[in-house]
Amino acid sequence: MEADVTIILKKGVADPEGSNVKKALNLLGFDEVRKVQTMKTFRIDLATEDRGKAKKDIDEMCKKLLANPVIQTYRVEIR
Amino acid sequence: MDTDDIRVAVLLIEGTNNEGEVYLAFKRLGAEPEFVHLKQLMHEKDIFDYQCLMIPGGFSAGDYIRAGAIFAARMKSTLCKKLIEFAKNGYPVGGICNGFQVLVELGLLPAFDSVMSNYPQAALAINDSSRFECRPTLLKHESKGNCIFTKKIPYQEVVLMPSAHAEGKFLFPLEKKDEYLQYLIDNDQVVFRYVGPQGDYAGYPWNPNGSIHNIASICSPEGNVFGMMPHPERVFYGFTHPDWTRVHKENGDGKAVFESVLDYIRRKF
Amino acid sequence: MLYEVDLIGADDQQLLKISEEAQLGLSLSEMRRIKKHFLEKKRNPTDIELQSLGQAWSEHCCYKCSTQILKKFVFGIDAPQNILVIKEDAGVVEFDEDHAYVVALESHNHPSAIEPYGGAATGIGGILRDVVCMGAQPVALIDPLFFGPLDSSHVPRGVKHPRYLFSGVVSGIRDYGNRVGIPTVAGMVYFDEGYIGNCVVNVGCIGVVKKKHIIRSRVKKPGDLLVLVGGKTGRDGIHGVTFASAELNESSEELRGAVQLGDPITKEPLIHACLEVSNKGLLEGMKDLGGGGLSCVVGEMALAGGYGAEVELDRVPLKDVDMVPWEIWVSESQERMMLAVDPKNLKEVSKIFEEWDVNSTVIGKAIDEKIQRIFYGGKKIFEMDMEFLTKAPVYNKPFQIKAIERKDPPFEEPDDYGKILLRLLSSPNIASKEWVIRQYDHEVRASTVIKPLQGVLGKNTHGDATVIKPLESSYRGLAITADVNPSYTKIDPFWGSASAIDEVCRNLASVGAIPHSFADCLNFGNPEKPERLGELYSSAKALGYVAKALEIPFVSGNVSLYNEAPYGSIPPTPSILGIGIVSDIRKCITVDMKKEGNPIYLIGETKKEFGGSEYLKLLGISSKTVPVVDPKALKKRMDSLISAIKDGLIASCHDVSEGGIALCMAEMSIGGDIGARIDTGIIGNMRVDHKLFSESNTRWIVEVKHDLAREFEKKFKGALFRIGDVGGNNILIKNDDRTLIDIPVKELRDVWNAPIYDYMG
Repeated sequence: MEADVTIILKKGVADPEGSNVKKALNLLGFDEVRKVQTMKTFRIDLATEDRGKAKKDIDEMCKKLLANPVIQTYRVEIR
Repeated sequence: MDTDDIRVAVLLIEGTNNEGEVYLAFKRLGAEPEFVHLKQLMHEKDIFDYQCLMIPGGFSAGDYIRAGAIFAARMKSTLCKKLIEFAKNGYPVGGICNGFQVLVELGLLPAFDSVMSNYPQAALAINDSSRFECRPTLLKHESKGNCIFTKKIPYQEVVLMPSAHAEGKFLFPLEKKDEYLQYLIDNDQVVFRYVGPQGDYAGYPWNPNGSIHNIASICSPEGNVFGMMPHPERVFYGFTHPDWTRVHKENGDGKAVFESVLDYIRRKF
Repeated sequence: MLYEVDLIGADDQQLLKISEEAQLGLSLSEMRRIKKHFLEKKRNPTDIELQSLGQAWSEHCCYKCSTQILKKFVFGIDAPQNILVIKEDAGVVEFDEDHAYVVALESHNHPSAIEPYGGAATGIGGILRDVVCMGAQPVALIDPLFFGPLDSSHVPRGVKHPRYLFSGVVSGIRDYGNRVGIPTVAGMVYFDEGYIGNCVVNVGCIGVVKKKHIIRSRVKKPGDLLVLVGGKTGRDGIHGVTFASAELNESSEELRGAVQLGDPITKEPLIHACLEVSNKGLLEGMKDLGGGGLSCVVGEMALAGGYGAEVELDRVPLKDVDMVPWEIWVSESQERMMLAVDPKNLKEVSKIFEEWDVNSTVIGKAIDEKIQRIFYGGKKIFEMDMEFLTKAPVYNKPFQIKAIERKDPPFEEPDDYGKILLRLLSSPNIASKEWVIRQYDHEVRASTVIKPLQGVLGKNTHGDATVIKPLESSYRGLAITADVNPSYTKIDPFWGSASAIDEVCRNLASVGAIPHSFADCLNFGNPEKPERLGELYSSAKALGYVAKALEIPFVSGNVSLYNEAPYGSIPPTPSILGIGIVSDIRKCITVDMKKEGNPIYLIGETKKEFGGSEYLKLLGISSKTVPVVDPKALKKRMDSLISAIKDGLIASCHDVSEGGIALCMAEMSIGGDIGARIDTGIIGNMRVDHKLFSESNTRWIVEVKHDLAREFEKKFKGALFRIGDVGGNNILIKNDDRTLIDIPVKELRDVWNAPIYDYMG
């Protein structure tokens, strides 16, 4: 089973990468770009078909490694 | 104990790359530093063979996911109990640059309520400029005596230690920012803050990353776990200061950090 | 899996078709030569044999077009410090009694033009391997870069915008260099319209090795095992060298397979492990896998030892299991090295690599006949004479030298010199490159004692050369600089190239270093066009002329041709890396002016030389009088200057280059955060704008310590002018009674700092 884990900066945490990309896009003439947010997705292939267990494991992974709760939240989508 | 008996573990995994400079800093002062790969601490070597643990800078595991996160996760899974024990016994644990990021990810810093928090209580996020910043930084020493790594630097003295990082913006959770900052100050955990040439708490580029409260370095409430973004090992000698052809100095400003920790070990153990 | 190619029965048209379809990049005459060889063997070649020839005979690997010219002019400058020069991937030069330094410089133009981030990053990876394979610890990276103007309004189809390329290349160098922990300490960035179609990305590396640990790139005797170490072999980077030996065009993007991403985190332990086995004396030879992959490294190592080799291709660890033999053989996957190991040392070598978590695999051995054989699945699939395979054809192609009329058109003297100075300061080729320099970790390893940015904290200016202190136990230093002015070489390849050597020497002398060796990366257009080859010829001739007169050897280098797009070639770009020796780094000096009241001197003669100058470019006037070089004067002035620095007479020093005296003064003031009062009346009878902005070679401006001025003057006989003093908050330049420029240093700094940041954010 595959799961997409997306790490997102929490609301209010500055996103310099995003704002820089926005600036670059505006400079390239894409004037309509109002905001760019960076997020990072890990596609994880798990050797299980048990959705509940997968969800639990991934939660643990996020807490242990993939996200820093001080600045990040995460979203899990099981495919 | 005597200086030449003091064994310092300079801990590394793949991607660590400032280990040579940290090693030499201790070696020049007469101690016995040793490179120790994290995987050696699982079998052949024991952390308690050493009196000091240093995590140098670099890009451990490529800094993938977040700077220091993988190194920290691997340390936690293999070494957690011993590490807590080590720090509890008052042995110094220091992290420079990537090492500071590792200590924060590990929960050994700021460690408000236990030696190691279960989850990180702070973060070192991407610099406000969104760029890697390699530049000299001026630091005001703010530790009132708690930090064992900076005892030889007078309170409020401004020192120069260069920064070189892309993820060094010290942050607390937004909702707890004020509360946590107060803890830091009350516990005498703020060690260095970025300042401008006039000693003022200046913005960019003097604060190269946008850290709250201009924080460059903190220590644990007990003072024996210490992390800093700038690099004291790069200014061991006067001639590695960026402006030494203008302002002559025999010793570099970073030397005192290594002298302080050795002095502490000599007295305590 | 394996095909026989019908070469024996092919006519000319079919031969060309074979070369094209298999992306061999071989010409008809080369294909005919191969056909003849196999006719004699009475068989057809296999696809892997043909691919192997395509690799070995590419310009990138064998320099078939350029080697004659280089031999004639650049190679073979004898010097006592030479240990191992030109022969290997990197030059080895004496540093002190026990140590040598290793120099390598290479181009990574084509990959960077297609995929700037990966192209530049793998360039760094490759140049590091070139140094490591000599047994040396890398201590510094250098990167001269050339792009189209950042404000280009439109670029041709299939070409990427210079801003995108610049940003991508810098990110690639940053991410790779910083991650492997080797400081990027020097380089240059140049913008010119000639680079819109083809950017030029040169990467250099310097290493240090104990003389007794120098390793050659060869097998030592039959029976030596060939051990492949490092990353796995994949389909990435197939045909990189044939790709680099052709012009880029709109469809080059489709060949993107030729560019790869680097993996610095595999590289870092690979460097450690290679240096450990080498320092323990466990190796007979070592060579990196670069262009051409296994196909080049096996043949070259075996032949260099005077032997042949047998390889079992199925032993090569693969990323993609379904790769066919020829793909494995020519893949240019990164982070791989080849070791030649005596069987008795194999166990220990394997153990060390295991400890570092780096893969090591025996894939073959050296044999006592000059033949290369490959086995796959127990079957022999390749058998060729080493001589035929590696002795590529050498060409004396026709070339044409263009005549240059050294004449300037007359032009009016402008009225506001202050405005001109400010505009010069903000021109992208002169403006601060801090945006680039601070993204590179130029201090990791804590041995960068003279840094690329110098001056009062927070108020820096560019240094002339960077100095590294490579050994813990010695104050001896290596000064490093890289330079070339393509505006000169475009007009006059000969004097432009000579000027590059002059500037490199000036930069080294500025910090107090004695120029010691050069490396050259010759980036030119399509050599099949006579005028392009003529540019290469003139350039090489000039490099040889000046270097021979100075008795400073070229110790390594690289030629990159075909830097040409359908609408034009790059300017001739011989980028020169110069290395100097400093006996005591504590004596080094910097560019920033130091102290109120110190006298300022100009060393060298100012002539009316405006060809390619920033001043006339600004005025929109074209000129042909590129500055000339007098090697004798250069040597004499350098010696005096270096001796004055050694004696501690000098407080700051900067060479005079783009923008002339006016700009030189401005840069020294910007770093020192202090003004200067100058009078140019003394330097000759010329129009004042000629004095201020001419770019004549072999000049420096020095700030001498006040009480030592007389001693300083004694060091020079002629060509020395006391032009003013340090002091005040402004740059004040007069000519006798006439005030030409009077501008606050702060204003100069602001104008100089901003441009690149404004473009790049």
